[in-house]
Formats: sequence, C-alpha cells, structure tokens
Amino acid sequence: MKREHHHLHPNPHDPSPSSVPAPSPPSSTPPTTSTIAGAYSGYSIHNGTTSSGKSKLWDECAAADGGMDELLAVVGYKVRSSDMAEVAQKLEQLEEAMGNARDGISQLSNDTVHFNPADISNWLETMINNLDVPPPPPPPLPQQHSVDSSSSSAAFLPQTESSTITTSVDRAFEDSSSSDYDLKAIAGKAIYTTAAATADSLSPSSKRVKPSPAESSSSTRPLVLVDSQENGIRLVHTLMACAEAVHQNNLSLAEALVKQIGFLAVSQVGAMRKVATYFAEALARRIYGLYPENPIHHSFSDMLQIHFYETCPYLKFAHFTANQAILEAFQGKNRVHVIDFSMNQGMQWPALMQALALRPGGPPAFRLTGIGPPAADNSDHLQEVGWKLAQLAETIHVEFEYRGFVANSLADLDASMLELRPSETEAVAVNSVFELHKLLARPGAVEKVLSVVRQIRPEIVTVVEQEANHNGPGFLDRFTESLHYYSTMFDSLEGSVNSQDKVMSEVYLGKQICNVVACEGVDRVERHETLGQWRTRFGSAGFTPVHLGSNAFKQASMLLALFAGGDGYRVEENNGCLMLGWHTRPLIATSAWQLATKSVVAH
Amino acid sequence: MAESNQLNLNESKMVVPLNMWVLISNFKLAYNLLRRPDGTFNRDLAEFLDRKVPANASPVDGVFSFDVVVERETSLLSRIYRPDEGENHARTLVDIEKPVTSEVIPVIIFFHGGSFAHSSADSAIYDTLCRRLVGICNAVVVSVNYRRAPENRYPCAYDDGWTALQWVSSRSWLQSRKDKKVHIYLAGDSSGGNIVHHVARKAVESGVEVMGNILLNPLFGGEERTESEKRLDGKYFVRIQDRDWYWRAFLPEGENKDHEACNPFGPKGRSLEGIPFPKSLIVVAGLDLVQDWQLAYAKGLEKAGQNVKLLYLEQATIGFYLLPNNEHFSTVMDEIKSFVSSDRS
Repeated sequence: MKREHHHLHPNPHDPSPSSVPAPSPPSSTPPTTSTIAGAYSGYSIHNGTTSSGKSKLWDECAAADGGMDELLAVVGYKVRSSDMAEVAQKLEQLEEAMGNARDGISQLSNDTVHFNPADISNWLETMINNLDVPPPPPPPLPQQHSVDSSSSSAAFLPQTESSTITTSVDRAFEDSSSSDYDLKAIAGKAIYTTAAATADSLSPSSKRVKPSPAESSSSTRPLVLVDSQENGIRLVHTLMACAEAVHQNNLSLAEALVKQIGFLAVSQVGAMRKVATYFAEALARRIYGLYPENPIHHSFSDMLQIHFYETCPYLKFAHFTANQAILEAFQGKNRVHVIDFSMNQGMQWPALMQALALRPGGPPAFRLTGIGPPAADNSDHLQEVGWKLAQLAETIHVEFEYRGFVANSLADLDASMLELRPSETEAVAVNSVFELHKLLARPGAVEKVLSVVRQIRPEIVTVVEQEANHNGPGFLDRFTESLHYYSTMFDSLEGSVNSQDKVMSEVYLGKQICNVVACEGVDRVERHETLGQWRTRFGSAGFTPVHLGSNAFKQASMLLALFAGGDGYRVEENNGCLMLGWHTRPLIATSAWQLATKSVVAH
Repeated sequence: MAESNQLNLNESKMVVPLNMWVLISNFKLAYNLLRRPDGTFNRDLAEFLDRKVPANASPVDGVFSFDVVVERETSLLSRIYRPDEGENHARTLVDIEKPVTSEVIPVIIFFHGGSFAHSSADSAIYDTLCRRLVGICNAVVVSVNYRRAPENRYPCAYDDGWTALQWVSSRSWLQSRKDKKVHIYLAGDSSGGNIVHHVARKAVESGVEVMGNILLNPLFGGEERTESEKRLDGKYFVRIQDRDWYWRAFLPEGENKDHEACNPFGPKGRSLEGIPFPKSLIVVAGLDLVQDWQLAYAKGLEKAGQNVKLLYLEQATIGFYLLPNNEHFSTVMDEIKSFVSSDRS
C-alpha cells in the first residue's frame, strides 16, 4: 500500500470491529532534508489495532513523547527530533573519548552495565560519564554453586550448603563469565558510584530513573511456526472451526468438531498433537459446561510446577531476573524485606538469600512475607515453606524472619496487615511472578492491589507475566491468541530430555489452557496481558520503570544455555525490561518498578 | 589525530540527513564495542543492544509477517512477509500459508547485512526494510536468519542461504499461478549481498532457478589495498581495519581475503563463463570504501558474459537504504521494483 507521505497515520481500510486504527499523532518535525518526491510510506510499528479507548491514550502518549523522530522510532530508537543535534554531538564526544581513553573500549564493553539502548541519548551519556571515571577494581563476585538444577529447586533443605558456599567464595575471583546459574550482584557498582557522583548534572538522565511514557498496547500477533503447517493444517482448521462454532453457540456443530479433532490429533506428532488435545479438551469443557475443573490438591499443583521449573527455563528466568533487580535495589541496605505475592514453594528465595549472604560487607537482615491461597486440606503449607527457608538461612548465616499470609485474593490485603517497618530502617521489595493477571478477573482488584503496593512504599516492585493478550473481550480472539502462544510454549518443550518432566510441564500448561478457553467470569483467572498493557497500568498507578541491564541480560542468557534442547530460547531487551522467548516469540516478560515520586531522588 | 577524526565526522554529516547520521553513527559506535582485538565477539552485548521486533500476523500498512523454523537441526529461522491483498484481518495458523493468489508474484529471499557478524532477520532495521520491499514490489519477502561469524564461519551463512532457497522453492503456496513455479529473486545488503552471489552460484550448479540477484552495497574484498579503500578509509563511518576484522572472523582460519568467498573474481575465483547465472542488479554507494571491489565484481560478471545492471550512487554512504528520507532510497527502490517485475504481464 503506497501513501503519499511518510508520517504515521491509520490504515483507513481496516474495518474489523474489534480494532480501531490508532489515530495519527500530531506530526512531528519533518525530516531535515527535502523529502523525497516518492510514494513510500514510513512504516509504523505502533500502528497496530487497538480499541478506541486505548488509541486515545496512545494519542496522549505521542504528544507527551514530545515529537519522537518517527523514522528512528520505526527502527527501534527513541530520539526526540529536537534532541537530534545534541545526540549527534554526544556521539562525536563519545567517539573522541573512546579514542583517548586507555582501554576505553574494553571498559565500556566488559565492565560497564548498559541500560535501555533504545534511549540513545541516555545510553551515550552513561558511557561518556563512565569513561571519565577510572573503573574501580572489580569487586569480588558472589557466586552460587548451583550447576545441578535438580538440587537447586529443593534447595531449602540445606545438605552441603555450607561447604558449597565456602568453595564458591574462593572461586569468586575466577573467570566472571562462569556459566553457573548465579547472581552476579554487584557488577553494576561502577555505574552506581558514577551516577551518584554526577547526580546533579545527570538527574533527568540518570539511567535508573528516566520515566518513560506509558506504552500503547498495540496488539501485534507474533507467530512462529516450527514445522510447516501443511501437515497439520486440517487439525488447525478443525480447531478454529470448533472455536468459531462455540463462539456462535452452535453447540451441536462444536461437539461434532471436537470429536473430529480427537481423530485428527492422533495422527499428528510432536507439539501440535498435544496442544490440539489440550485445546480440544478445553473446548469440550466449554461445550458441556464442565467448568471449573475440580480443584486439585496443592501438593499436586506444586509438583506440576516443580516439573515445569526443571524442564524449561521460564520460571528460572523469572526468578533470576526478578532477583537481580531486587538485589540491585537492596544495595547498601542493612535490613530488607521481600513481600512475595507468588510464594508457592518459595523456589525463588534460596538464590536471593545466597546472593545476599555473599554480599561484600555481609548480608542484610532478611525478612520474607509469603502470600498464598489457602491450601485445600487446610495444611499450613506456607509455614512449612518458611520453615525450610529458615533452615537454609541458618546455614548461610543470614538473619531471617518469615511470615506466611493466607489470602484468597491479593485484593484482600491491606498494607496495615503486613507489619511494615519505617522505610529508613527496612527496604522493601514486592515480588509477583505470574500472579497479577489473576486479579483482572474481578473489577477493581488490580487497582486496589497496586494502591496497596504504593502504600508499602517499596524500593522496587518486580513483576513477571506471560507475554500475551489472553484477556481480550472476544472468545475467538482469545482462543486464537492462546493457541499461538501455547503452541510455541509446547514447541519449546519438545527438546527436553526427561520425558516425565515434559509430560508434567504439559499438564501444568494444559491447566492454563483449560482456564483460558473453558472458563468465564471470576473463574477465568488466566487473564494474561502484554508488557505494553502492564506498562500502561503501572504508569497510571503511579510507578515508573526501573531498568534491567546488560548484566542481567548476559547472565540470563547463560542460564538458558543450561537447558538441553535449548537452542531456541532467546532473551530480549525491551525498553528496560527483559523478555524470554522461544525463537523470535517472546513468551514471558520481567519488568521492575518504583514509585514515581522516587524519580527525583538520585541513588 | 583527534582533529582529523573531527573532520571526518563533519564530512559524513554533510551527506546524510541528521537522523540517518545518528542511526549509522550509533551502529558504528556500538559495533566498536563488540569487536574484540583477539577476534572474539561480545555476542551477549550485541544481542542486548540490537533492537528487534517480533513478527506480526496482523497486517500493518498492508503487510503481515510470521516466522518459520526452516530447519530444526540448525534452528534456521526465516521471517516471511506477505502482502495483505486487501483482507485486513490478522492471520492465524490456518491461513498464514494460504497460496498466493497472483498470476505472477516475485518471492524475494533477503539476506540482511551486518558484515556476517551483526543483526538478525528480526532486527528492526531489517524488518522495516523488508516490509518496505513488500509494499514497493508487491512481492513476498523471505528474510533468512543465517548463522553469523565469528561463532559460525564460512560456509555456514552460505549453507543456510542454500537451505532457505531450497525450502522456498519447494513451497507450493508460493508458486505463481501462471506457471506453478516459485519466482525467486535473491537480495541482500552488505554481507547479505555477498551471500546472494554464493547462493546463486550454488543454485545454478544444482539446477534451481533464480530469476535475479540484487546486491546492495555487497561485501567483497581482496588482499590488495585499492584506491577507494585508501581514499575513503575512516571518512564515512567505516574503516579498513574494521572490514579486515570481519573477514578474519568469517573466513576459515588461516585464509586471506583472496579466498573465493571474499574475492569471487580474484586469483582463487572460479569462472562464471558459460554458466546461466541470474541477471544481477548491483547497487554501489559512491562513499563506500569497498566500492572498487564492488565495481570489480560487476565487471567480472560482465566479462563472463552475464547480465548486469550497475547503479552507482555517487553521494550515497553505507546504510542509505535503512531510512527512506533520501533520494537514493527512492532511486534504488524504483530499480528493484522494475527488476523483479520484468516478467509480469
């Protein structure tokens, strides 16, 4: 489609009811040379399909953006047109400084932690400042000895922990590019010192605190096919036809199609067969009204999660990246408190505790508040988990305090229940891994929770969520999105070696599929939304991003290498957040947040 | 020394729009951080810095895209871009591989640049370029995510290109209706242009038809130091020493730049005489320091009796096609469009 000019504007031909094209923002300053007399449209990534409500917000954002250069935006860079000359100057300045500094390039490449490269101006500024200050000698890097992943998941039963810790301290000065799953806590220290020293000149551009405008939630539909669809096409066709029939309430047709899916699935191999089977089951449940599934015993769902944890890197990545952000936020604090909205079996915390134990200068006092749903058998499941962590804490000599909180919903929490201590004495992190989306099943719940989080006044809020929109208003869209998403997820499991782990992981994911497809209303809790949508929500709730940097990226990448059949896993940086995906399809996203008022205070 | 660097920076600023200068200089700077003197590459930092975009089965500006793992064993992925054909809805697994409806539609297999080491099929700059190609040429574009140096040296990139070509040529849904054949063109910039040549050669030798080659600022070289290399060294974003680093990273250990991969018409090259090589469109930027090699390549094709069209853009620098706000962009796009449309009725 050719257009006469190359500014952002909507596609006037898009009639689909579920999408209204984003209106074009006020046009930014024209290109600096005479425009070509051509008919080539500037392609816009943001020009996705959004609901009218969201496009309004997008409009505001575009204006608030203060005229980002459109052509650079399209290729992934955020530079204000009005800043272009200044950015050019910084490029020259940095080039010169790199030429003059002894080992400048090596320093910037190996020691410096980079953040949010889309913001070229800030990225350059940080490097320029880094070159001014001679790098401090590398601090000892805390290393966690945990190559054998099967021991780390049950790591709260400390067996040889103390001897392990001793050895790894000795190893701390070794090659810092070890591929162990560990938290290199203080790699970013050089940046912090610099940033603090030049806080005045830097305050609007300090790397941690630059508020980014709320992002639009453009509904892109990423698709990765692992095998050509030519073989499985009938199966997919039937699945979609069945979903369509359900959507139109043609239940007898839907029923017939579900049976057909069963036949067709049998002749498939690999991921497609399993995905089809789970989706068919979910469709059948929807047709026959067999939802919700009988609630399962928590020890069974715990077990499923543990297998999922072992088979593929998603949970480990989530824990790792969240912990990295928490560790950095807790730097210099003597008493720290983590409030975990997603306690489960507490698998995230041994690694953090071990990293805190190895902090130069000694560990802080560590308090953990674990929040979870009531156990079906009324067992004090949360307390058991806490007790195991306490045992670990003792062996690694970390002062530890624990409180378990049973709540049906996070929205039942109030800040007053959490026994918070004054923020001068205790720094708080709030952590949520695959929990927040469940709140979207009830109106007002997520807003309530975010306002409680604000009251907690945390140093940092770490959030990991599925990177998908499974919460759109239309069933058919939800079905299609989730079919794509879980197909990719299941594909990524195909390479795993341990077949029992794989099956359990598939069951674990199958439950999510069932919920997305068969349930409605308050029962439908797997209401996944995209990073863009969460950004908007957090922005509106008074939070600004805390960026995850190249150090976390690198170590997350190393973590992936530990997974057999893991060639396809990819870490991606996205405007200060990190995403893990299979090939080019991001599947989960980690973001970190702080209270908006904090942005005035430089670290 | 600092002063002449300053002069160099100023010169390049005069020939490109400011935002393009910023874009290319930013790449230059980032790339400087990634190449290590010992020949290794800071891949983690490279992936962290690279701006990527996912595929999008919802059409945007008349184009939708999706990724396919073309070969599982090597995780070879390609991104397919298709024109929307007025349907205006997001594609799903069902209709993503629906047969093309045109009597004749070019399928352009695209190899992104990056001197064999940088970028990917999902890099934003290349995703954008491929989308533009679809719109301008009304073609399907298949962008190949070939393995990169230094982790994967010659001939990995060429092997991946050949694998992708075979995959494309066997897709029934890409066949033009007129003759039930896939009308394949190979295109690429920088290292991608180099890959085009070698994959075309392999195709011809194996009897797979390629209808044309499009080489945008292709990467060729040789041991000799040419006049343009000396004259333009460091002046327009590129230094010879950088070029040398990339060849050392790509070529087999111990080989020099007269290796056939780098210098196909050099002392170790094989003749193309009498071979039904595809017609070639070669775009040379007048401010690219490797232009002597690119011109020599064009000449070599001519001497071997091949069909060559040379487009020499005097004031163009490397990367001019990454943004549309310059006259060279439209000139080149027009040429490419007619190059791939010549067999349309």
